[in-house]
Amino acid sequence: MSRRSFVCRCEDVTRSELEHAIELGLTDVEELKRYTGLGTGPCQGKECMSVLVSLLVDRGLADPGTVQPFTARPPTEPVTLGALASAAPRATQTKPQTRPQSKPQSGGTR
Amino acid sequence: MSRYDPLLSRTDERPDVSLRWDRDRPVAARRGDTVSLALLDAGALETSRSAKYRRPRGAFCLRGDCGTCLVRIDGLPNRRACTTVVRDGLQVQPQNRLVSGPDPSALIDTMMRGDMDHHHFMVRPRVVNQIMQGVARNLTGLGTLPDRAEPDAPARHEEHHPDVLVVGAGLAGRAAVEVLRAAGREVLWIDRLDRAGLVAQNDDDGLDGLCDQTGVFGVYPPERLWAAVTERPGEGAVLRSIAPRHVVVATGARDPTIPLPNNDRPGVVSARGLVEQLRRSGARLRAPAVVIGAGAHAQALARALDRPCIDPAAVERIEGSPVEAVRMRDGSACEARLVALAAPPAPAYELVRQAGASVRWDGHGFAIVRDQAGRCALGPWTVWAAGDVCGHQGLAAGDDGRRVAQALLAASSSSSALSPTP
Repeated sequence: MSRRSFVCRCEDVTRSELEHAIELGLTDVEELKRYTGLGTGPCQGKECMSVLVSLLVDRGLADPGTVQPFTARPPTEPVTLGALASAAPRATQTKPQTRPQSKPQSGGTR
Repeated sequence: MSRYDPLLSRTDERPDVSLRWDRDRPVAARRGDTVSLALLDAGALETSRSAKYRRPRGAFCLRGDCGTCLVRIDGLPNRRACTTVVRDGLQVQPQNRLVSGPDPSALIDTMMRGDMDHHHFMVRPRVVNQIMQGVARNLTGLGTLPDRAEPDAPARHEEHHPDVLVVGAGLAGRAAVEVLRAAGREVLWIDRLDRAGLVAQNDDDGLDGLCDQTGVFGVYPPERLWAAVTERPGEGAVLRSIAPRHVVVATGARDPTIPLPNNDRPGVVSARGLVEQLRRSGARLRAPAVVIGAGAHAQALARALDRPCIDPAAVERIEGSPVEAVRMRDGSACEARLVALAAPPAPAYELVRQAGASVRWDGHGFAIVRDQAGRCALGPWTVWAAGDVCGHQGLAAGDDGRRVAQALLAASSSSSALSPTP
């Protein structure tokens, strides 16, 4: 087995993959997430976010005073579709209705 | 020591329940153990294969945060082994692997010495890309559907309009609830863990009136809702729509990984999670193990585990799968069947950030920014933050919870008596 140092185990993102992405000029948390897939697995960044930001801050690529994580969205804990469906109005159980999508929260543009 | 020698010693040597691991292997356990603890005790550490390199993986955080203890339990995929309590006859199955035993897809990890950049890997020529799309992409998500579509019991929906919602039953959450209740405030108090897990975290049990095994999964300011789900064994799930006037968020801190070579091997766990799981089951480590971490936090966990503490800077790599040793930079090696990582905890900010709070980098993670009283967000409610979610505080978290609850009382005593509950 190869020796790899993982930053994100959910999506198999290694430290050297992040270094590769940084060499390509991607130094922002959001850019690195999009390029490598870091933080997009089952844990949604709970294990890897601080490791990534430590790495960026240590290399002077992120300002510790202003650096921000990528947006945390629901669900932050696992929930089954069955449980979510229990909140549906009774009418939707027999006749499908369309419901306007809720707007994203203010400030959470990413 | 053989692969399946027990890694733990128990005060009560007689197991009283048994689960079936990987179709046919009986694993002895004690009532109250989590599935992760029982598997760990039995040395059954590999629970899945990883997404890209197809490396063996096992439970890491042992406290409901990471994503790699997910297993199939009684026909339902993607269940957290670390928070599922063992029941007699439980069927537990590894996930996301081709075959039991040596997995041929592991060749990907062996043959690819370098990194896999999926933006360029097997994109051209087109025929190669088609093979990749058809085969390689399907290696991830081998997990099959549930055995049955219907759950054991139907889910219910409940609405709550508490004066104060308190999320978290660690030191800060407990102290806050005590203060709020003493002042006669109506509190809905929830935590995602079960009672035994919370008692294992903190010696004092004072958990009366707690709605346990209830995870808040989302905050929806436009709908004025905090959404939570209660899942207890043998009961239908309860979805909770909560519209509180005040919220005290005391969600604590999580355990990050430490990026060392082979830090993903089965048998690499979080030190804090391991201590809590052992406490919960009255078990002690029998196997050789080491703690990797620096500072007082790591030293305290190493003392709790009665195992040596190694500075991450001195580590060359972790060896074996499941782990067998830690190779040091000076060439020496420490035998270890478990490697416990003790990075400084990172605040569990995700939920309260959804509610509109700001976060700042505190050197270890993103901590909630709050005013002097403890307020961190306003909206249809006032959100207060207390304890480790504002930066790791350890034992001082209780005092912080008490202080924030008193500030909440002072800020709202006049208005709450007059205005009706929404």
